[in-house]
Amino acid sequence: MSAFDRRTFLKTTAGAAAGAILPLAAPPLIRSARAAGTVKLGCLFSSSGTMANLEGRLNFVAGMAAEEINAAGGVNGSTIEVVTSDPASDWPLYAQVGRQMLAETKVAALFGCWTSVSRKSVLPVVEQNDGLLFYPLHFEGDENSKNVVYVNSPPASSVLPAVDYLMSPDGVEAKRFFMLGSDYVWPRKINKQLKGYWKTKGIDESAWKEEYVPFSFSNFQTLVNQIRAFADAPGGKLVVVLTVVGSSIPDFMREFANQGISSSDVPVLGLDMVEADLEGLDTQKLVGHLNCWAYLQQAKGEANQQFLKRWAGYVGKTKAPFRPDVAIDPMVSTYDAVHLWAMAAKKAGSFDAPEVRKAFGGLSFDCPSGYKIGMTAENNYVSRGVFIGSVNESQGFDVLWQSEDTPKPVPMSQYG
Amino acid sequence: MRWRGVLAGLIAVVAACSPAAALDRASVAARACGGASGMTDAANAMVASLPDASVEDARWVATFSNAAIERTLRCGAGAPTIAAPEGARDAASLRPGAPADGSPPLLSLKNRPLFETVRAAATLLAGPTAAERAGALTALERRAGSLPPELFERAAEAETDPALKERVLGVGQAALLNSPDMAKRLAAIQRIAATPDRRALTQIAALKGDPAYGEDPAFRAAVDAAVGSIERWLAVSNALNVFYNGLSFASILFMASAGLAIIFGLMGVINLAQGEFIMIGAYVAYAVQEAMRAAAPGLLDWYLIAAIPVVFLVTAGVGIAVEATIVRRLYTRPLMTLLATWAVSLLIVNLVRVAIGTQNLQFVTPSYISGGRLVTGDFIVTWNRLFAIVFAAVTLALTWFVLKKTPLGLNIRAVTQNRAMAGCVGIATRRVDMMAFGFGSGLAGLAGLALCPIYSVNPQMGSNFIVDSFMVVVLGGVGTLAGTVIAALGVGQINVLIEPLYGAVAAKVIVLLMIIAFLQWRPEGLYAVKGRRK
Repeated sequence: MSAFDRRTFLKTTAGAAAGAILPLAAPPLIRSARAAGTVKLGCLFSSSGTMANLEGRLNFVAGMAAEEINAAGGVNGSTIEVVTSDPASDWPLYAQVGRQMLAETKVAALFGCWTSVSRKSVLPVVEQNDGLLFYPLHFEGDENSKNVVYVNSPPASSVLPAVDYLMSPDGVEAKRFFMLGSDYVWPRKINKQLKGYWKTKGIDESAWKEEYVPFSFSNFQTLVNQIRAFADAPGGKLVVVLTVVGSSIPDFMREFANQGISSSDVPVLGLDMVEADLEGLDTQKLVGHLNCWAYLQQAKGEANQQFLKRWAGYVGKTKAPFRPDVAIDPMVSTYDAVHLWAMAAKKAGSFDAPEVRKAFGGLSFDCPSGYKIGMTAENNYVSRGVFIGSVNESQGFDVLWQSEDTPKPVPMSQYG
Repeated sequence: MRWRGVLAGLIAVVAACSPAAALDRASVAARACGGASGMTDAANAMVASLPDASVEDARWVATFSNAAIERTLRCGAGAPTIAAPEGARDAASLRPGAPADGSPPLLSLKNRPLFETVRAAATLLAGPTAAERAGALTALERRAGSLPPELFERAAEAETDPALKERVLGVGQAALLNSPDMAKRLAAIQRIAATPDRRALTQIAALKGDPAYGEDPAFRAAVDAAVGSIERWLAVSNALNVFYNGLSFASILFMASAGLAIIFGLMGVINLAQGEFIMIGAYVAYAVQEAMRAAAPGLLDWYLIAAIPVVFLVTAGVGIAVEATIVRRLYTRPLMTLLATWAVSLLIVNLVRVAIGTQNLQFVTPSYISGGRLVTGDFIVTWNRLFAIVFAAVTLALTWFVLKKTPLGLNIRAVTQNRAMAGCVGIATRRVDMMAFGFGSGLAGLAGLALCPIYSVNPQMGSNFIVDSFMVVVLGGVGTLAGTVIAALGVGQINVLIEPLYGAVAAKVIVLLMIIAFLQWRPEGLYAVKGRRK
């Protein structure tokens, strides 16, 4: 009963908040008539609410990838049509829009979600409808659904290598850690695994602290005070593992710099930090702080240059409200995802999710990151390279370290 | 900018002197181009050479390490070079005319502090101005232990500025904490305890494990006295920290809710678009900044001040427009104003989103709102928060003045207390409503202005404030400025006290529960205006 009420309420909210999902409400009859010779891909990325600035651009990347594939002749004789939506950064709404897309719009695959909480809400929907969701973010792992393609890395091939680097003599020989995250599943699970990992390294529990803040929290004064106090306590070099998301990231970094802490004193490893989070900040005082992703804009190679050029051109053409000169990992992952789907559909000779899924094994694609990313028949994970980035003066990230090749993704964590 | 001038000076000096042989510059430069471990070697070699280095060598070390930090160093196929606007120079000889190719080496996390220390140490020895040397000394204070003690002795000898000389000697003393000479150790302890922060406490408390602590009673007494004094000061600085954090949070709460207190108090209108007025204020401040960038770039740093009247007038205008077109027609239906103002807020958010975009706006951060100052112990006053506190205090004073000392304020108070009677004595209540709504919106706009050095400015920022500001207004008692101030101070202070104990999530919940409990006891809030409503 209450679930129904909430859903109706959300429906009204979404309708009022953005006209973007109006096309979905069009009678299914008209839509299917238009669909002859085209295959639809659905995007579940918010263009309003807290995630708008980050997720919004992924709609355009999916469109750009589809355009590329269409220009090369489409897939199985059909051209791709990208259907976008606006779940308004409202986690349960992702599930509802996803269900609508699978059942009514009849999309061949879904591409979407940024936060893990939105993925978790879509998960039952794609499992019930036996659909496919391509998820472009690095995440907490411990999930292995046959209906989700994990395009980005689980912690074992993203966070742990970065933490290892910080603990190594090449890094800063970090001995203590301050974990600060938004209060939801991704930060809590990442931190749980990190703690398990440190225990196996023989690090004592007194060497870390863990704090969580609500979504879109911005008053970090007291927490930065706590970090300063912890940094000055004995026991060795402190590192902040930052898993806050959205607008909390720039607000935290600003307070951190204002209280006079530089990356030489206490480096911050921002796990969800991308170039877009540094917009509007004076990065002069933030130089040296870190992030880790499977792609950084400074990645070397021809594939990256081409991707950046195409994105700049696409933004110019479509008047997308995003910077043409900034590319972030989830953009590249979405781009990879659309291409991987197209390759699998071509290989399977079908758009049916079960057929496409069977074709995943052995796929490989030249990712703009410069790595040849691949999938195995074992699971729906994609093996990606690892980059550690370091904030520079011009609101971007330099590549501080990158992995030799693409580590094999491990879905289930052995560290709790 | 500052550095460029210094560099130019250094070039002139270095070009005039003959290169000394003590430091193998070419080898250091080459090593700095040999990856992360090479850079570490280079930094260590430079530190080791500094105590005996000639002045020219020290200057070269300052120039070279600065080039590495500022990323003007170029490592290519040939010898390393330093890029400059007037043309590349050879990194070892600093002679111009070198081919500028290659890329800047990236300082790793470990090497950055090393190079910063090297740069500061070299500048302390050979910096051309006393201000430069003082700045370098400040940078070295926290890292004094990692440098050879002779370096400070030499710097003090060469120092011409007496005040700075004293400081250099002091920092040098602090670096001798583990010296074999007991007198020097005791001096070091005293010296360190003079800056009573947590780092000093850690440093001195570690001495309790030192063998001398058990053997030498003088040493033991010095350590105990130092620890005691630092702990006392730390308690003071902690209290100051909590007070300052609470005050700063309270100023934000007050700014966000002052306008609402007037609107809600006067008309009973639950204005859900209040947060969006805050957002509009911040966007107008941005527009003023951009206008000044185009029209008067020299005064750009003062855009926050220049924006105050513009922000107030524009948001007040938007508020009046909303009142005249929507709110006015719904006075008899309060629940519908709630829905209507919510619709207005959605409309404004999406208009801004479509017209300007969802990204965070890029604000110039002039020096008066960036960084902070260490006052005592670990107590830092951050300028952007202080700006918000002062801004809130001034706003409070002006609002109080308008409400108590002007005809408009008199009318507003009259209408708030008894609308029907105010109408009877000839006050145009509808006009007062409009003016009050405009005034309240303008205050919200000013809140946006005060917040833009603290928070990120984007179309969604308003929604973060709406719940908090209603909380403060209802707690304070509807329609009283004093109540709003006290409530903001209370909520801010309590939040800051609870946060370190139970975490930020629990702090929000506990504060909310406390307010609910309080309102059970006093439903009208802290201060109630008598006869406000029937």
